[in-house]
Amino acid sequence: MPTTLSSQSSPGIEAIIQKHKGTSGALLKVLENVQEEDPKHYLSESSMRSISSLMGLPLSQVYSMATFYSFFNLKPQGRHSIVVCRGTACHTRGSLALLNEALSRMGIKEFKEEEENSATSLDGFASIRTVACFGQCALAPVVMIDGVVKSRMTIGKLVSLLEKMKKGGVE
Amino acid sequence: MEQKLISISVDGKKIEVDPGMNLIDACALAGASVPSLCFMKDISANASCGVCVVEVEGAKALVRSCVQKPVEGMKIRTAGPRVMSARRTAVELLLANHPTDCLSCIRSGTCELRVLAETLGVRASRYPKLKKFPPPDTSTEGLVRDDSKCILCGRCVAACAETQSVHAIAFAGRGARTRVTSFMDKGLANSPCIQCGQCSVVCPTAAITEKDQSSEVMAALADPRLTMIIQTAPAIRASLGEALGMPPGSLVTGKMVAALRRLGFAKIFDTQFSADLTIMEEGTEFIQRVQTGGTLPMITSCSPGWINFIETFYPELLSHLSSCKSPQQMFGAVAKTFYAQKTGIDPASLRVVSIMPCTAKKGEAGRPEMDSAYRWWREKAEKDGTKMSREHYRDVDWAITTRELARMIRQSAIDMASLPEENFDSSLGESTGAATIFGNTGGVMEAALRTVYEILEGKALPQTDFLPVRGLQGIKTAEVPVAGMKVKVAVAHGLKNARVLLDDIAAGKSDYHFIEVMACPGGCIGGGGQPVLPDIGKKLARNRSLYMEDLRLPERKSHQNAEVSALYKEFLGQPAGHLSHELLHTKYKARIV
Ligand code: SF4
Ligand code: SF4
Ligand code: SF4
Ligand code: FES
Ligand code: FES
Repeated sequence: MPTTLSSQSSPGIEAIIQKHKGTSGALLKVLENVQEEDPKHYLSESSMRSISSLMGLPLSQVYSMATFYSFFNLKPQGRHSIVVCRGTACHTRGSLALLNEALSRMGIKEFKEEEENSATSLDGFASIRTVACFGQCALAPVVMIDGVVKSRMTIGKLVSLLEKMKKGGVE
Repeated sequence: MEQKLISISVDGKKIEVDPGMNLIDACALAGASVPSLCFMKDISANASCGVCVVEVEGAKALVRSCVQKPVEGMKIRTAGPRVMSARRTAVELLLANHPTDCLSCIRSGTCELRVLAETLGVRASRYPKLKKFPPPDTSTEGLVRDDSKCILCGRCVAACAETQSVHAIAFAGRGARTRVTSFMDKGLANSPCIQCGQCSVVCPTAAITEKDQSSEVMAALADPRLTMIIQTAPAIRASLGEALGMPPGSLVTGKMVAALRRLGFAKIFDTQFSADLTIMEEGTEFIQRVQTGGTLPMITSCSPGWINFIETFYPELLSHLSSCKSPQQMFGAVAKTFYAQKTGIDPASLRVVSIMPCTAKKGEAGRPEMDSAYRWWREKAEKDGTKMSREHYRDVDWAITTRELARMIRQSAIDMASLPEENFDSSLGESTGAATIFGNTGGVMEAALRTVYEILEGKALPQTDFLPVRGLQGIKTAEVPVAGMKVKVAVAHGLKNARVLLDDIAAGKSDYHFIEVMACPGGCIGGGGQPVLPDIGKKLARNRSLYMEDLRLPERKSHQNAEVSALYKEFLGQPAGHLSHELLHTKYKARIV
């Protein structure tokens, strides 16, 4: 298989690959685990290169899978995560304003919604991403903050949640 | 294997078919030709476009005939308003995001999408444009990928993975962002892509094409300061006619020479001349390896896609490669030294153009080490204490494909079919039948065996043809008794097949002495720069026509080429001698991507 550059994080990745060896859908599980264990919660070029060479799979195939599922991140993620639903129900109830508020509070200037689905603040504090629908349209608009779904969101509520986040934790 | 036939009816006509075949082929047997787009027989069937739909009695939805298998008693309707409207919709959806560039598009004359839209009567698309595309990928010397013209049929992905086992490209992303791309979208130059161009011959549209240099060559032809000479690869004479609308397999050697003269080249030479030269060098190298215990099996080195492949995937086996340059590069080195010196032409104003069946040849000509003539003249100037112009030049200036040459001929309004047959110029234009079969898989091996046998045995071959290495089977093997030794040879074409032989060598299980590898399926006749959309019938026709040419030529063994003998006598000295090594041999190195 392709000659690849070596990468830093091979030992951890090797263990993950060992764990899933021979199971069906091994590549998908390996990618998930590697992302979970990555401090920046993403699939770096070098970890995908390691996965490719250790599993004997072409780089193009690893990339194919990593770009197919929206839960894989190909860019380093912030320490906090803000997910804004941009589905139809949420959109009609003002999710664009929520997205813009979150972006400006985090100091993210460039975000082209048609082209990418996430952006991270320069200081690595938080990542903002959009999804097509949380499946909770009755509670629209919906935002997820550090893994916790917050429904019937308003600008006011969002601002105070983000303020709390900045002071350390929203729980 | 015995297959029980089943009976189906197609547009009311009853026929018996093999249940393993696709419905689209079954319909064709019944005389109904169902249009298709993404499907390509023997290459790919990912059923993505929906153009091949037919109506099956009792089925609610229309059926995609390129993947559906027939079932006993099936009643099929291949035409009618329902299928017509579905086919049109399918094409309209594709056109929604497609640029309306047909007038100026490089594939206009051979585009399956354009023809389909026209035959189905699609005049405009009702659907909105939703996609944005990155600029074309021009990172390599051989190919250009333009996503805006891609219909996501998957043929290129299949050719790259299944025929070549390279996996440079794959689908990435999803939904409106789905695209065919290389790892991290970094472009082909930063992928394992070996520039074979197999993707470009199967692509139905202009989404992946050769990097067209025909206008550069035309501009150079108009420059009075330059002396333009041209060499033509063996396989071109069996495919140029086809590219210009003649029947597949038309053998157009003499007419091609005539057309090139009319385009304005000063001398029309033949890569077959340097193919014979290659056999002299490579045959000698093989004999030396056998006699001195060198690395075996020795593997041929004339296919640049193959060289890129072994440098990328099997760098540990590089010592098995023959050190011989390809015929294209041998020609360039000899033209700009021997020929320039003999004719008194300044090598800096001499331009060598080659017509190749291959996109990887463009990259080969551009390799930094392929400037032996320049280095030879520089050394000579140093030795003689004379001045030399500073301008650097390479051995081969342009390598253009069959498709590009066909374009030049068409643009110049030359009707090749009506031209007289003309001959190549001397003294780099003579060739033997052994050189012509270089264009077929197995041809280099056969040519080498003809010469090695006669050198070692010192007598004429009882039988010039080596049939076991002919034909389109993926891997061919033979055992040939030569001078008391049983020479074991193998031939592979298509790199997936080559891998089998390479893995054996790597595992220490290969007992072959000599192996021929060609990157493209069929060899150069199936090259990535050849007329697009070839099927097995066209390839067989090209293959046969080269064996016809072999029989037509007065000499059929490379060592009988008088111009090659003269080259050794007047200039090079001995095969594999000192000057040969300087000009005709090369080194390889591992490629990391
Ligand atoms: S690829 Fe085909 S349909 Fe597209 S612009 Fe070119 S000729 Fe027209
Ligand atoms: S040129 Fe060959 S290796 Fe490169 S992408 Fe096309 S098929 Fe694959
Ligand atoms: S580049 Fe050509 S062959 Fe490949 S998916 Fe696109 S249209 Fe099909
Ligand atoms: S649209 Fe937002 S949850 Fe469905
Ligand atoms: S040809 Fe059958 S779906 Fe495209």
